[in-house]
Amino acid sequence: MAVVDAGRISARGAAMRRRAPLLPALILLFIVTQIPFLFTIIFSFQSWNLLRPGSTRWVWFQNYASVFTDGTALQALLNEVLMTVLAVLVSLVLGTLFAVLLDRKFPGRSVVRTLLISPFLIMPTVAALLWKTTMLDPVYGILNYLLRQVGAGPVDFVSSFPMTSVIVVLVWQWTPFMMLICLAGLQSQSHEVLEAASMDGAGPLRTFFSVTLPHLRSYLELGGLLGAIYLVNTFDLIYMMTQGGPGTATTNLPYYIYQRAFQGFDIGQASALGVVTVIGTIIVASVALRSLFSVFKTAEARA
Amino acid sequence: MTVRKRVLTVFAEHAILIALGIMFLVPVVFVALTSVMNSGQTLTGALWPKPWEWSNYQRAFEKAPVASWFLNSLLYAGGSTLFMLVSSVPMAYVLARVRIRFANPIFFAVIVAMLLPPQVIQVPIYVLWAHLHLVGTLWPLVLPHLFGHAFSIFLLRQFFLTIPQEYTDAARIDGNGEWGILTRVMVPMAKPGIAAASIFMFFQSWNDYYGPLLYTSENPDNWPIAYGLASFHGTHSTDWGVIMAVTVLATLPVVVVFFFAQRVFVEGITLTGVKG
Repeated sequence: MAVVDAGRISARGAAMRRRAPLLPALILLFIVTQIPFLFTIIFSFQSWNLLRPGSTRWVWFQNYASVFTDGTALQALLNEVLMTVLAVLVSLVLGTLFAVLLDRKFPGRSVVRTLLISPFLIMPTVAALLWKTTMLDPVYGILNYLLRQVGAGPVDFVSSFPMTSVIVVLVWQWTPFMMLICLAGLQSQSHEVLEAASMDGAGPLRTFFSVTLPHLRSYLELGGLLGAIYLVNTFDLIYMMTQGGPGTATTNLPYYIYQRAFQGFDIGQASALGVVTVIGTIIVASVALRSLFSVFKTAEARA
Repeated sequence: MTVRKRVLTVFAEHAILIALGIMFLVPVVFVALTSVMNSGQTLTGALWPKPWEWSNYQRAFEKAPVASWFLNSLLYAGGSTLFMLVSSVPMAYVLARVRIRFANPIFFAVIVAMLLPPQVIQVPIYVLWAHLHLVGTLWPLVLPHLFGHAFSIFLLRQFFLTIPQEYTDAARIDGNGEWGILTRVMVPMAKPGIAAASIFMFFQSWNDYYGPLLYTSENPDNWPIAYGLASFHGTHSTDWGVIMAVTVLATLPVVVVFFFAQRVFVEGITLTGVKG
């Protein structure tokens, strides 16, 4: 027994020595991702407004109380969820449809594919300006040009339907990404299975829903996860397109925190808002994402 | 269910998709065409350039320091990608392969850090850069990637996990240390994953507006193209032809990179999370 223990300990010692050079990387990683957050917590307990130098003092939970009674903060949270979820879902559906279309062979397929990817490659700021000025503008916009042809009055889309407009642009940018992921899924599907399905008398729709869609599931989950990670942080588009408005109609959390910190100069409140966001994210991450992470379980089990 | 009905259904399904596809392309085509229109034409409802005004591209370089914006963007995106690789590849390997206690909680903390909007932890970081007197330079945008980039670490770790343990073990028996295993075995096998992470990083910094807005907006010499373009739009808002020419120029590098790398990009992403 003692011999076995000794052997195990020396093996562990060897393993430790081998790992030693890598530990600094891990420690650095932990420090770099967590230290700013620690500072944010410290700032969140202070009343600190850059416009009133020297007025900094400890107020403990006062900033948090004002976050939860602040209607704008709650509105921003709601907008954030709505924007991310809708944009991810709609772009997934559209991306799947485009992928199905591109999965068939037709002349000029690679050209069409490259063209369809282009919205993903355009800068969010450019996309915002492009949509705001050339597509949705009440005077010069193409959509209003079309509406005029059928005798309908000009519609100022960005101020009348701000949330829809923002989501449309997000969908426009992210559908190509989902399409790419989905296309990879479709092309990895074995032809025998599809042939077997059609031999069994399944129509194209039936085949799609009972055979192809289950096969695509893990691809769709992956695309949804990566898309959500980016879309949660949507800032450039909102800054350029709506400035969070009209009012607070399209203010999401990143934009609101930016406003509090860099336009209101209220570091304490912005930090409290940040901490609340982090706690919310941790709850969402540990509950909702756990199911999404099942995608990665197989890879982990193999390792 | 007659044959004719089925043909019609298939056609309808395609027609809707094709129409959607065309709608998707309208903005892109519009930019390209407007970039070669003269200013008289851009303000009318004309859809096709006549004559083709290629001089817009020349005027773009005369009216704005486009070359300097390009250089800054190249420094920002190239530097970020390089620093990200130097830091995140070893970190991802540690999280994927080295069995240490607390590896999972640390990975979870990294994921949470990744989901956070950068604005959340922006205040202390901005204060730090202000103390270092580096606000106004590109350093606050590039340097942080030398300390790891959470999204890349996540992507790379997932890719490393798909490489069978036997390769690592074999390399270890051959007398390699962890560093040798990483550089001689893991990196060559993880090329698609590394390429995907690099492309994501390059695109993100090339397209970033928020970072330059925060750190270099008061120093025009250090504007990357994403910020320069937006400000150009604000000051030359009637000169549509030139604005669109700058837009095309700003998007071109990303399109070229993507055109050559799309296969490996898709492979790198899908192999990461989907059982092969």
